[in-house]
Amino acid sequence: MELDRRHFLTAAGALTLPVVLAGCGFAPSSSGPAESGTDTLTFTTWGTDAELAGFRTAIAAFEKANAGSKVALNSVPYAQMFTNIDAQLQAGNPPDIFRVPYYTFGSYAGRGQLLDLSASMPSGFSDRFTPQAWAAVQNKNKPFGVPHHTDTTVILYNKALLTKAGVTDIPTSLEQAWTWEQFEKVAQQLRKSLPADRYPFAYNWQGNGVTRWLSWLFEVDGRFLADDLVTPAIDSDAGRKAVDFTKSFFANKLVPQNSSVKSTKLAADLWYAQTTAMNFGGAFLIPDAATSLDFEWGATYSPRNIRSAGDFGGNALVATAKTKNPELAAKFLAFMTDAEQMKGFCEGASLLPTRRDLSKDGIMFKVRPELSPVFLGQASTVLPRDSGQVASPSMSKIITVLKDQLEQAFVGGQDTATTIKNISDGIGKATAS
Amino acid sequence: MTSRRSRLNRGESLTGYAFIAPNMVLLTVFVLVPLGWAVVISFQQTNGFGAGRFVGFDNYTRLATDPVFWRSTVNTVLFTVIVTPVSMAIGLGIAVLLNSVLPARGVFRSIMIVPMAISGVATALIGVLVFDQDTGILDKLIRSVGLPAVNWQSGGTAAFASVLIVTLWWRVGFNMLIYLAGLQGINLELYEAARLDGASWWQRFRYLTVPLVGPSSFFLLILNVVYSFQVFDLVFVMTGGGPENATSVLVTYAYDNGFVTGDQGYAAAIGMFLLALSLLFTLVRWRTSRTRDLVE
Repeated sequence: MELDRRHFLTAAGALTLPVVLAGCGFAPSSSGPAESGTDTLTFTTWGTDAELAGFRTAIAAFEKANAGSKVALNSVPYAQMFTNIDAQLQAGNPPDIFRVPYYTFGSYAGRGQLLDLSASMPSGFSDRFTPQAWAAVQNKNKPFGVPHHTDTTVILYNKALLTKAGVTDIPTSLEQAWTWEQFEKVAQQLRKSLPADRYPFAYNWQGNGVTRWLSWLFEVDGRFLADDLVTPAIDSDAGRKAVDFTKSFFANKLVPQNSSVKSTKLAADLWYAQTTAMNFGGAFLIPDAATSLDFEWGATYSPRNIRSAGDFGGNALVATAKTKNPELAAKFLAFMTDAEQMKGFCEGASLLPTRRDLSKDGIMFKVRPELSPVFLGQASTVLPRDSGQVASPSMSKIITVLKDQLEQAFVGGQDTATTIKNISDGIGKATAS
Repeated sequence: MTSRRSRLNRGESLTGYAFIAPNMVLLTVFVLVPLGWAVVISFQQTNGFGAGRFVGFDNYTRLATDPVFWRSTVNTVLFTVIVTPVSMAIGLGIAVLLNSVLPARGVFRSIMIVPMAISGVATALIGVLVFDQDTGILDKLIRSVGLPAVNWQSGGTAAFASVLIVTLWWRVGFNMLIYLAGLQGINLELYEAARLDGASWWQRFRYLTVPLVGPSSFFLLILNVVYSFQVFDLVFVMTGGGPENATSVLVTYAYDNGFVTGDQGYAAAIGMFLLALSLLFTLVRWRTSRTRDLVE
């Protein structure tokens, strides 16, 4: 057969199309076959190099343990992840499995997009997880995913800058964590010691990280949703205290003005550049910080008030309701939370386990292992009622309310009473719709 | 004879339709159908999954009382009103300069066009590096000459200005290129005649160059306005719409509602408002276009 120009162009177009689609993130771009056979699962995730390496190792182990089964890993940039997932869900061709932050989990579970795992998991399956982790994957008292790992916020500090300011007594146990008053005193001490364009600390509440602001609320034993997860509960003394205290960070120039909740500047970047002496950040920062920072740094516990608290960060793994192979999907989710798999993943990627046994016995990060107890200790302060609120199906709307109102309070000068009222009204509207 | 001509005409028409068919199919599938769909969604309360609930004009009445929406509208209009004439004026100025007998003008032309080759997100990331108020180059320069640093990220007006400056840097090259093409089509004898008549440089520019590049100006006016209404990537990456919504524009606000809050009906209503705004501009342009076409 002769190959004329028209045939050549047609063939070239046909060959190019999958490449273009893969570039858009709509087709698997990494290991494994693209087609979804009965024994093939498609798994979409984003991840750091260490996380993706952890997933690949676990997938290889799963495929070895389940002959004939395949898992096609599709890694996409975080920025594209959920617009792609939403488009695929709407089009009716979602992946079998995907990774989802706990604060987004509720919006998928509440909209009937995830596989109910109640019947698929063996009896007593929930016992392997900490109560706060299991609470984070519930919707109407049914599990719609597995808590794959968690992360929480502690204080990362620049040793030289703290020493220069005379801050040498740094807490080494959860019980000794600075109280709010002590923390404020340390921040003021740093304020006096640092030049005007340098700041004591930055908090990691930018973007969807605004849920981390809730740790301040939990520390004064407050909550933003009542037990029914519908009624707003932030209009309280605890709510006002949390807003007042965090608002004072900006008024007293303890944090950079460009580190508010709607800023595109991340707290970690401010700390890396030594614009701040301390940074509220998660364990996931450790590998990057260990390789790129040229100053000595350590980690200590987040401040406490009535109690210690922390954000239940990290991600769940979920199967989609329309998966063609729910049994294999459930089997894969269970496998990914086996002790061996979870330990390997968390140690390699500097993340925290959600299993009771691993949380109790501890794990050691591959990078800066001596910091592991600080993060594990802080994670133990998360209560099931804290993580349960964040799993609300209305969380994406509540996040928008928190972002709008806290931005107004922090940099717009809005008073605490108005802020609390607006947040409460906004949460009421979000849970009612 | 007549029927043969009619057959020929019909054949030509069919050929014409066949030629435009691929474009019409693409236009229908990727523009008209989604547009119609968006109109339907704008009358619904929907999170994007399952069937939406018909709510009539609720989403539109909500727009009227939403302060962030109005702030975004004002910002979008302000952005358009500033960027369009300024980018065209600078573009024309540079084009005139680079159309003259300037040494190494080829190099300068290339330098001016380079930003066009950079994606919006990459341009915005360059903008972040320059306008970062803690570590950015610009504030370092400002401080080095003894002036107080500008809060490009935490000050509302400064943040808006930073987005404008980066947009101009990105867009001026394109304006210059179109004007340069327009200038090269002008008969040089006209300038020679004007010079003989004693016209000054400014008079030649004002009464010859400006009217004679009218078609280019007309084309650029439309493109600049449309691009300005659609601005998204630069704002999204540089400021995220902050601080305090000072840089929020209609498309970023629609995106936030559609993909962050999951309120796709309301996001579609914002999109419809933007469409109406664009149509209004098109109508005004249509009314004024006849005089512009007469220029040449």
